[in-house]
Order: sequence, then structure tokens, then C-alpha cells
Amino acid sequence: MAERECLPTMDLLRSEPMQLARLIIPVESAHRVISYLGELGLFQFKDLNMEKSPFQRTYATQIKRCREMARKLRFFRDQMYKAGLLSSTWPTHGSEISLDELEVKLGELEVELIEMNANSEKLQRAYNELLEYRLVLKKAGEVFYPAQTRATTQQREHEHHRVERSIDSPLLLEQEITADLSKQVKLGYVSGLVQRDKSMAFERILFRATRGNVYLKQESVEEPVVDPVSGDKVEKNVFIVFHAGERAKSKVLKICDAFGANRYHFTDDTGKQYQMITEVTGKLSELKTTIDVGKHHWSSVVQAIGLQFEQWNTMVKKEKSIYHTLDMLSFDVTKKCLVAEGWCPVHATSQIQKALLRATIDSNSQVGAIFEVLHSKESPPTYFCTNKIMNAFQEIVNAYGVAKYQEANPGVYTAVTFPFLFAVMFGDWGHGICLFLASSFLILKEKKYSTQKLGDIMEMAFGGRYVIIMMSIFSIYTGLIYNEFFSVPFEFFGRSAYACRDSSCRDATTIGLIKVRNTYPFGVDPVWHGTRSELPFLNSLKMKMSILLGVAQMNLGIIMSYFNAKFFQNDLDIWYQFVPQMIFLNSLFGYLSLLIIVKWCTGSQADLYHVMIYMFLSPMDDLADNQLFVGQKYLQILLLFLALVAVPWMLIPKPFLLKKQHEERHQGGAYEPLHTLDENLEQQLNNRSRGGGHEEFQFSEVLVHQLIHTIEFVLGSVSNTASYLRLWALSLAHSELSSVFFEKVLLLAWGYNNSVILAIGVVVFIFATVGVLLVMETLSAFLHALRLHWVEFQNKFYQGDGYIFLPFSFSLINDDEE
Amino acid sequence: MGFMLTTLIFIVIGMIACLCTRICCNKGPSANLFHLTLVTTATVCCWMMWAIVYLAQMNPLIVPILSEGE
Repeated sequence: MAERECLPTMDLLRSEPMQLARLIIPVESAHRVISYLGELGLFQFKDLNMEKSPFQRTYATQIKRCREMARKLRFFRDQMYKAGLLSSTWPTHGSEISLDELEVKLGELEVELIEMNANSEKLQRAYNELLEYRLVLKKAGEVFYPAQTRATTQQREHEHHRVERSIDSPLLLEQEITADLSKQVKLGYVSGLVQRDKSMAFERILFRATRGNVYLKQESVEEPVVDPVSGDKVEKNVFIVFHAGERAKSKVLKICDAFGANRYHFTDDTGKQYQMITEVTGKLSELKTTIDVGKHHWSSVVQAIGLQFEQWNTMVKKEKSIYHTLDMLSFDVTKKCLVAEGWCPVHATSQIQKALLRATIDSNSQVGAIFEVLHSKESPPTYFCTNKIMNAFQEIVNAYGVAKYQEANPGVYTAVTFPFLFAVMFGDWGHGICLFLASSFLILKEKKYSTQKLGDIMEMAFGGRYVIIMMSIFSIYTGLIYNEFFSVPFEFFGRSAYACRDSSCRDATTIGLIKVRNTYPFGVDPVWHGTRSELPFLNSLKMKMSILLGVAQMNLGIIMSYFNAKFFQNDLDIWYQFVPQMIFLNSLFGYLSLLIIVKWCTGSQADLYHVMIYMFLSPMDDLADNQLFVGQKYLQILLLFLALVAVPWMLIPKPFLLKKQHEERHQGGAYEPLHTLDENLEQQLNNRSRGGGHEEFQFSEVLVHQLIHTIEFVLGSVSNTASYLRLWALSLAHSELSSVFFEKVLLLAWGYNNSVILAIGVVVFIFATVGVLLVMETLSAFLHALRLHWVEFQNKFYQGDGYIFLPFSFSLINDDEE
Repeated sequence: MGFMLTTLIFIVIGMIACLCTRICCNKGPSANLFHLTLVTTATVCCWMMWAIVYLAQMNPLIVPILSEGE
């Protein structure tokens, strides 16, 4: 596509050249081929069976098998967590095993484990019930006798009343009376355990339901008891309810059930009680041993699984992914071969062919797999071969949009300018050193942390460790330039340039010092900190610095668009977009930068706001005091004229020329390769489909598109330049916060001459610095530097509408599922 | 230490850094060009920042006015 240039191409500037390839694979070696390609990780398969639903595809049953196995493995993992085996201690290699054997083994293990779990649950429940029973036996015995005597006395009183009443009511027959009397002699009781928080309600409802005809005695159990149903430890009370009559008994039983109170039978015979207690204790110890043996067996099974778990897990995942990929291939006419289509980098051709050959040999297939390159008008995926350091920066660029195939990658410059702009906003070498220590700790412990599973925030910080270390190095540099170490300046590079006007220093606080020596050689003069005119000076310096840095970065962006246009051989873009854009931006804001530099060099007192505004409002006026150099007025008129000419230059010629090109092409007059068409236009019309042929050319659409682009650039040039002032704003905020914490916390605490207050002050200072400055300000400056790159820098040249190369690779799958 | 002298020092440091990168990690012409770009960009950024701060202090319009009780 592009001609070889004299200079070698640069790594990472443009996507690796990609090709569309077709593989024809005989069915018997298909599984192996896909497996080896997965290990290689350089081929992105296209789904050739898009119309089919997941159930219609060839390998749906295999995938179902793998899913079942994955489910069983998840079950095993839960059991392992319950047994307390940590994931980091599981070994990753074990003995070789085939998929069918694995399936059978997983099935057996699952059945065994489920059975063991069910049994142990039953045993545990029985055990807990027996424990409760023993408690009831012990406690109830203590309350029983006094309670019973009291209950029987109450009963006798009640009978007495009943008898008296029967005399007054002659309507009652004697039989009924005797029947009533005989019934009421029988005093029944129910004993059991109820939860302590429900005991009051229990008592109340019993009382109401039986109209006070029960006697309830409760005794609390000291320790919490394991509830047989729920398995948790709850506080319970032992209760005995004495009731009279069958109706009352049924009511009591229903209420007990409603409250979940477990009932246990209790004999009033002391001999039997003692026997029961010994029996229950015996049963308890028996159950305990059974449960313990069961648990031991369970844990040994789970541990055996643990040794092989990672290997099985990886295997199942691999197989599932292989079958998913196989599903994407289509059968050819003879039904004996599978056809695969996909993207791969051009440099990987030999590796892929070697893998295919190896697969053919290993599967003893008669026919080898065929690799052929196809030509297509589709836009290939974008692939950058990054190492671990550049990866983070590339991710930052990709988060905004993946580069279109072979367009210039802003990541190349972002790797340096992003940490640099961060540092401009963060400049303090004390804080920079703290960040440096933190990120170098992460880098030194890289190996350990990359295999562990970290929390979300730690993972982000760990992933960005190289970005953070670059940011910290640049911060140390800008901190030295701003001369701030936790807001304290130092005189490292020579003596300050300022001194008193005379030896008595009378005017130091009114008119100020004067410059007696050469400029302080590196950075901001240390005398400025704490003076009254510090802010006006620093504000002026930082605002002008932001404008200069901004204009420089925007110019870099426009120059990148030139390189893009040259690479895609788009002359139209060069003459009717790049040139007028450069002229417009530089005649206005480049001129402003020039004025700033001239003002600094000459020390003139010209008001630059006035100069710029009146350049537009009344360009013919005489400059008077604001003259910075000879011929300034004429230069300004010329630049204004150039800027005004540049706007229609950007707007009008291009649509007409595009129309002419389109007509020429479709008259068969001039054969021009497709890529000279405006890239935007092609994207709009083609939309990544396989079509081609006769596109519609709508002149009005193109004109509107160009109009929007022009307005965006022209208005954007003002707003983007102003946007760079955030470099000033954040840097000011940082230094002010830092200065406040230092003076109002640390120095204040120092002033009291008391070690307790000093210690408190130091602690507050450390927390404030770490929380506000090192965490919040870092995130804030990170975000704003990111915005400056994504919007102000990239909108000058970046299309960002490509898609990323996602090869079928086992290592990516492992990362995915984790 | 004038402006020109320090600029020269920056250029020299930049060239030394390029040489060091070339010596330490020489991985083919395209990778070398990439590393060269990174180092050059870093040097230019650092120089720009220093130069801006230096130029701003060469002919000052505002002088430091000490605050009371210094």
C-alpha cells in the first residue's frame, strides 16, 4: 500500500501490516490445528457461521460437555474454599489426562462429594438435636419439681373453684361434673427449647391462647446453642409448660411449632431421667466420632482434588475455547474439510505455517492444511506489538478509541508527553519521590503480584505501575524547576538573583528587592516563596507556560495529520487541510507565543491581551506603548489576512475536488486507487462491509461534513488553547495546598515547643499529604492530563475508529475468565 | 550560565541519553528509531520547561516584595 520510505519504519507508530488468510483444514487434524494456533496466539478467527444460532452449530454437544465439567469444577472450588485451601497454594501442573477420562473422573468425584455432604449434614443435625435434648434433660430436671408442685397446687385451687361453681349452677349434670373433674386431674406438660428473643412473645401468646390456664417456667441456657435447623448458634431458653386437658395441649403444641421451639419428651421419673442422660451422652460421643471420620474423609478427597484442580480447570477452559473456535469454521462442499478465515500479522506467516505442519504430522493426517492469503477491501484490525512498559500507555490511547488500521499511533508521543503534562500539574519533588518509591515497590514485587488476584483498585494501580513511575520521574524534574519540596524552596543551583536595594533593606516590604545577579540558573528563584508578589509572578509565568506548551502540542498534532496524509497518499488532505490548519493556528496562537517570548526577552511592558484583542478589533491602529518589535503592525495585518484566507481554504476547495475525483473514477478516465478517497468518506459509505463497487457520492453531505470540520477547527483552536490553562490551574492548586499543609499544620505544631503537639501535627501532616496531595491530586492531574491528550491533542489528527486485533490465544482466555 | 550555554548542556545530555539507549537496548532499526523518538521528545519537553522558566525570570517586571515579619 505505501511505498518504502528511505527512513526505516518506526515501531508502534503504525499498526503491524495484517493480512486476511484462509485455512483449509482436514477434519481429523482440525482439533490439533486449532490447539496449536491457540498456543501461538497470532490468528484472529472470523465467525463464518454468523447466521446459525448456538444450538445449530456443529460442536454444540461438545461445548455442553465442557460446560458441565466447568460447573463441576466450580462446585469443587467452593468445596475447596470451605476446606480452607487457599488458591495461591494450588500447584499448576499434574499428570496428563485426556478429556474423556477427565469427564468420567469429575462425574464420580461430584457424586461422592454430594453424598458425603448430605450425610454429614444429616449427622450434624441429629447431633445438634441430641445436644438440645441433653440440655433439656439437665435444666428441666432442676425446675421440674418446684414447678410441678406449684402447678398442682394451682390446679387444685382451680378445681376447687370449678366445684363451687357447679353447685351454683344446677343446670350442669353430675356426669359432666365428674367428667370435667376427671379430665382436669390429668396435668400434662411439654418441655423443650425456645429462642431467647422469642421467649416473651411465646409466653404472652401461650397465656392468651389458653386463657391463662397454663403454667410456664423458663430457664435460660448460658451458652448459645447450635440450632439444628439453621445451623447457627442462638441463645435459647429451656421451658416447661404445664397444661390441663387435650385442647390446651393441642394449642400448646401448635404454638410451639409456630415459634420453632423444639420439643423434647421429659419423664418425671428420676431413675429414668438419669438413664436418659447417660444414653444421650453415649449417643453424642458416637455421633461425634462418626462426624469426625466423615469430615476427615471429605477433606482428604478435597485435598486430592486440590492438587489437580488448576490443571483440570485450564484444560477444560482450553477445550471449551477450542470448540467455540471450531464452531466458527464452516464446512466446505465435500464435508471433509473445515474452512477458516481470519486475520493475522504478515510477519507471523511462517510461524503459522510451521504450526499447521506440526499439527498435520501429530495427527497422522494424509492431507496437510492449506494456508492462503486473501485480498479484501475490508479494514483489518489494528495490532501493536507492545512490551509490558508500552502496554499501559497503549491502553490509555485505546480507551479513547482504537487506531484505524495503519494510522499514526498517538501512543508514541503520549508515552512521554502524558507523564510530562501530569508533572507540570503536580510539580513538587518531595511528592514525586513518594510516588517514585511507591511505584518502584510495585515494580520490584512485579513477579509476585502478577500471579496473585488483587482487589480492583490495587489492580489498576499495579497495571499502571510503569506509567506512575514515569510520572514520578518527571514530577521530580518539574518539582526541581518549580523549586518546591513539600512547598519548601531550596537554593541548590547557586545564589538567588535578588537582593535588597540598599544595605538597610528598608524597602524590602514596600517596593521590593531588585535583581542584582544573573538569573537563577535552574528553575524558579527560591526568594519568591512567601513573598507578597509571589502569586502575580507565578500566575503570569504558569499561564504563559501553559499557552506555550499547548501551542507546541497542538502543532505536533497537526504535523501528525500531515504524516498520516502522506502515508495514505492523500494529497488533497495535505494541501487543503494540513496547510490551512497550520497557517490558521500559527498566525494566531503561534504569534501569541512569539509575543510572549519576545516580551520575556526584552522585558517590555506591553500588554499582550490588549495587543491580541486590538489586532482583531482595529488592526490599523498605532501600537504605541504596546510595540514589541519593529514592523509589528504590518506583521499583524499580514497574519490576520492569512488567518482569514485560511478559513475558506479549509472549507471550499476540498468538496469540489472530491466530486471531480469521484466523477473521473467512475467515467473510467483515471484509475486511482481507492485509498486516495477521503478516509472519512470511505468509512461512512463502506461501513466495513465487503461491498465496494459503486458508492453514492452526495455532494451536499460532503460539503456539510467539511463545514462541520472547519468550524470545529476554527472555534476549537481558541477553546483548546484556553483549555491548556488547566496546567496553570492545577499547578497553582497543588502548590497552595502543599503550602497550607506545611505552614498551617507542621510549622504551627513546631511553634508550640511541645513534643505531644508536634507528634500530633506530624501525623496530621502525613495523613493530609497522603490523602489529599498524593492520592486526590494524583488522580486529578492524571485525569486532566488524559483529557488534554484525548481531546486537544488527538482531535487534530486521530480517527480512532478501528478495531483491535484479538487473536485466539490460550493466555488471553485465562486472563479473561479469571 | 547563560541561556545558550545551558541549552547546549541540554543538547549534550540528550545525545548522551540517545547513545546510552542505543547501547543498552539495540533491537533492530525500527525499535531504535522508536527509542530515539522517546528520548528526543523527553529532552525537548524538559528543555522547553526549563527555558520558559528561565526566560520569564530574565527581565522581570514584578519583583519580590517580602511580607512583614520575614
